[in-house]
Formats: sequence, structure tokens, C-alpha cells
Amino acid sequence: MEFEENIKVAIRGLIDHKFRSFLTMLGIIFGVASVIAMLSIGEGAKRQAIAKYQDLGVNNIIVRDKELSNEELEEVRAKFSLGLSINDANVIKEIVPGVVDVAPQAEKDSEIKFADKSSKSTIIGITPSFIEILNYEAEKGTFINEDHCTRNLKVCVLGAGVVKTLFQNQDPLGKMVKIDDQWLEVIGVMKTKALFTETVGELASRDLNNDVYVPLSTFNKRFEFENKLSSEIKQITVKVKGSEHLIETAGLIRGILNRHHYNNDDFSIVIPYELLKQEEKERRIYNILLGAIAAISLIVGGIGIMNIMLATVIERTREIGIRRAIGARKTDILSQFITEAVAISITGGLIGIFLGVSLSLGISLLTDVSTFIRVYSVIIAFGFSVIVGISFGYLPAKNAANLKPIESIRYE
Amino acid sequence: MLIEIKNLKKDYLMGEIMVPALKGVDLKIGKNEYVAIMGPSGSGKSTLMNILGCLDTPTSGQYLFNKIDVSELNDNELSAMRNREIGFVFQSFNLLPRMSSLHNVELPLMYAGVHKLERKERSVKALERVGLADRMMHKPSELSGGQRQRVAVARALVTNPGILLADEPTGALDSKTGIEIMQLFDELHREGNTIILITHEKDIAEFAHRTIHLKDGMIFTDELNNKNSKSKKKQIP
Repeated sequence: MEFEENIKVAIRGLIDHKFRSFLTMLGIIFGVASVIAMLSIGEGAKRQAIAKYQDLGVNNIIVRDKELSNEELEEVRAKFSLGLSINDANVIKEIVPGVVDVAPQAEKDSEIKFADKSSKSTIIGITPSFIEILNYEAEKGTFINEDHCTRNLKVCVLGAGVVKTLFQNQDPLGKMVKIDDQWLEVIGVMKTKALFTETVGELASRDLNNDVYVPLSTFNKRFEFENKLSSEIKQITVKVKGSEHLIETAGLIRGILNRHHYNNDDFSIVIPYELLKQEEKERRIYNILLGAIAAISLIVGGIGIMNIMLATVIERTREIGIRRAIGARKTDILSQFITEAVAISITGGLIGIFLGVSLSLGISLLTDVSTFIRVYSVIIAFGFSVIVGISFGYLPAKNAANLKPIESIRYE
Repeated sequence: MLIEIKNLKKDYLMGEIMVPALKGVDLKIGKNEYVAIMGPSGSGKSTLMNILGCLDTPTSGQYLFNKIDVSELNDNELSAMRNREIGFVFQSFNLLPRMSSLHNVELPLMYAGVHKLERKERSVKALERVGLADRMMHKPSELSGGQRQRVAVARALVTNPGILLADEPTGALDSKTGIEIMQLFDELHREGNTIILITHEKDIAEFAHRTIHLKDGMIFTDELNNKNSKSKKKQIP
């Protein structure tokens, strides 16, 4: 018996019983679709997390000034702490072993204006080390460089969100924008960044796309904090050599800063890499759970196939008897029925892949859950549907092959 | 001898009792013989046919087909025997309903592993032989009873089997169509085919040249048909 003939018979069987075949496939369709959709949600979450932490730097430790109310600030200052300062940054770099570089940054919320439009933004003053540590690059124009810093130039680089609000379709490069009472030239535009839609450790959630970068020297010289008690520096990004000793290094930094701040708990330390690892761990359990649910629906789909195939074998007893009488071997009958089961499961699998891909695209378009379909997940889902077809088709096919030719040919 | 049967016995288990269907049958059939096996229901003729057709194996005794001991064969070898050496024609035609005549006739060749092109060529020839050249793409439901039986005969012939085994081939046909089918068997016999006919109708058995009567699982009579037999009359008009 030729394989080609088996496939023809199987496909004709599917077409002859369209509705029944469709109902039989339904379990596989939903099973495969849910495997793909769930894996794509898991993958999407993973990629979003990695992108988020990549913006913070995987080998970095972040020290950030705590958001304090006015009373708290007054209390802390009364207890001699000046908050984060450039000095803190320098001390960390000098004393803590394994620290490659430190990048202090000052921040202030201001309105940035161009023509009749304005945008609420975070103005961030940075030093050349910031560029070294975080590998920020402008998508258009240039990023802040050492020359801008040493010469206190009145230049700025805009986040993608700011550009969208202020310039719409105009080219912002070379334009002058007004921040507080200062005019600055736009020299670069950042590309769109992953949003911090949730807090990362002790870092508050915010939209990085509304950031405006200026040289720290310019920031200190041209802008003033509204609150005179504000710390000099909002954040210090510490780059560490290798990721093995991040926790110990962070402990050292905490110790040193506690001493400098007279134990005024006014800063927090975040290790993005540790958070990433922890998040991955939590996600793994979640993914296993989702995968198990999808696998169960595939198995249920397989049982559906087996059920129909068992009925089909009884319905076609006579046909099996005829085929056996004219020379079909048991293996011919076996492979014919397994081929039919696999044809059902493969067709269901293909429809399921289509549905699963549409589903995950739909989810990422219509909700803020991001999804990503990896080729391997499609292969896994499809492979699973083939395996389900073979394993759940085997028993009915075996039944068919074991029918006695004399009895089945007289079966009414 | 094409077929040699020695002391063939077959018992069936009915509930908890063993019921003997054949109680020791000895039979020899030569090449190009035309034999009718007759007997009332329960005489064991269906059992004998099943064993002759390699659909079933005997409880004891020997069945030699072309010197091959069929009772020693396993399931795969029995399938191969049915495929190559036996051409079945059934009372109820037993065609696959969703396939064209041509496809039905091709089926045994497919199980024999004959290549597609040769398969089609031989099947077309077999259908032409039974006079259905213009009905090849018809499905069984689009054919008359006689035409369906002709397709079944073509399917039986297409592998050039050692014997044609016809089980009540006219049982589902009206008498005129039945005679036409019997005339077809006559021609096939004259072309050199060995035919075994199982029937309970005397008229039909008379087409054969030798009649074996079965009774209670044993051969009751085994005689050559006399000159009045219908086929002789047809041979010499």
C-alpha cells in the first residue's frame, strides 16, 4: 500500500465528513492555539523584562535618592544628611573594589516648550561616564558627549515621547526649545524605549520616553531646583566588573553611604540583574502552569480524535473486511487509520497555528500585554499535534487491523 | 493438482460448545477446472469457502495450494495469498462505495505494490474484459446490479489469480442478469481460469463441469456434470 494512497483516502475521508472532521479537530485546534498563544505571552513578558533591565544595565547597581516629603526632607537634613551627592559618586568609585565607573545624574521635572506646544518632562543632567555605562545612543543626531559637558553647552537630547508632543512631523534637530527660562538646542532624538509600566524594585514606574538629557554641568549652571532641600544628585549608576559579586558590592556601597548619610535611610539600592533573575524564576512557574493547561487541552483533543476514530472503525468494518479479502495486510489497515488520525490532527494543528498566531497578534494589538511568537513554539505545537494524532489514533487503528476478515466482510 | 485438501476439519466455538463445521473433507481440484460446491445452509460450504479463500485456517488437516501448505502461513502470508492467488466474487458485490469502478479494480494491485501506471493499464484492461469500458469513472451507486458484479469480477481477475472463488455470485441479481454473469464465468473458464462456485441453486451449479455436494460438514457426492449441463450446451450450439 502506498503512502500517497493512504493520504488520498484520508483527505477524502475528511472532505466527505466535513462537519464531523471539524468537530473532531476542535480539541486540537484549541490545544495548539492555546500552546502558541500562551508561549507567546510568556516570551513577550520575558522580552519586555529583558529590555527593561537592559535600559538599567545588567552589570549595574543603581543608587537612587528616595522620594521624600518636605517634612521628611527637613528631618533628614537636620540629621546632617545632604542626600545623594557627586561626592558620594566619587567615594564609591574610589573605595569600592570592582567598580569600573560611576554615573551621577541630576533630575528635575520641568515643562519643555517649543512654539505653542509644551510637554511635561524629566530633565536629566548627565556626565560623560553616563554614556560609557549605559550605551545610550541617539536615533537621530548625536547623544551628549564629553565636549558638550566640558564646555557647558546649552544642548539637549529629547526622548521619543517629547518629540512626538512638541514636533509632530517636523525635524527637531537644530531647533531651539525652552526649558524653564533657558533656551537649548536639540542635537539628538532617542529611539522609543520599553516603558516602565510597573515599579522595578524600589524604582518608581515612569515613562523613559519623556526624558530630556542635558550635560550635568549645564544642568547645575542653568537650572535651579524648586525645593532648596533637594539632593544634588538623584541617581548614581554604578558599573561593576562582572555580575558575580553584585550583591556583595551593593552591600559595601550601602555601608559606605550609610556612614556618609549618618544612617538617614534616604536612598535605595537596586540591582537590576538580581531582579531580572527573580522575575525569571517567578515567570518560569507561571509558564509551566500555562503550558500544562495547554497540554491538557491537547490531550483532551486527542481523546476526541480517538473517540471518533473508534466509531469510524466500527462504521467501516465492512470496508476493512473487503480490503483484507483482496490482500490488505494488517499493517496496511493500521497505517491507513493512523494516517487518517494524523491527517485530522495535522489539519487541526495547522488551523490551530493560524488561530494561535492571530490570537497572540490580537492580544498584543488590543491589550497592553506584549506577545512574541518564536518559531520553536510553532514547531512544538505542531509536533505535539502530530504526536497526539499518532498516539490516539493507534488504538482505533489497531482495533481495525485486528478485525477478522471473515467476520468483518459479512458485517452489516 | 492446484488444490489438495486432506482430512480438513474446522470447529467453531459457539458459546462454550465446540461445533464442528467441517468433519474431514478430502478434495482435489486441478488447473482450469470449473467446480460448483453445493449444499444447504449449515452444510459447511461457507466454512469451506473461507478456508479455500485463505480467509480462515483449518483446525486440523492439510490445505495445499500449488504445493504450499496454507495452514502453516501467518497472517501476512495469508494476505499475500489472497492478494495474488484468490479472486473473490461475492453475493453482495462488496465494492467500496466512494470509489470509482476503476479505483475499486486497482485496489488489489495497490496492495500488491504494482506501480501506478501499470496498475491503471491492467485495471482498464480488466474492465474492458468484462464489458465496462464506458463505466470506469462511475461509482458503484451509479451502476446496475449486473454492472456492479462485473466490476467485482474485474477486480477478482486483475491480479491473474490461481482461482476465481465466487460465493453465490448471482444471489443478489435477477435471473436474466444472473445468467449473463454466469455466461461471463463460462468465457473466463474457456480462457483458462480455474473457477470455484459456491451456490445453493441447482440451475447455477449446472454451469459448472463438476459438482460437489456438502452435507453435515462432509462431502456427500462429487460428480462430473453430464452432457446436458448448461455450459456444454452453450459451448456447442
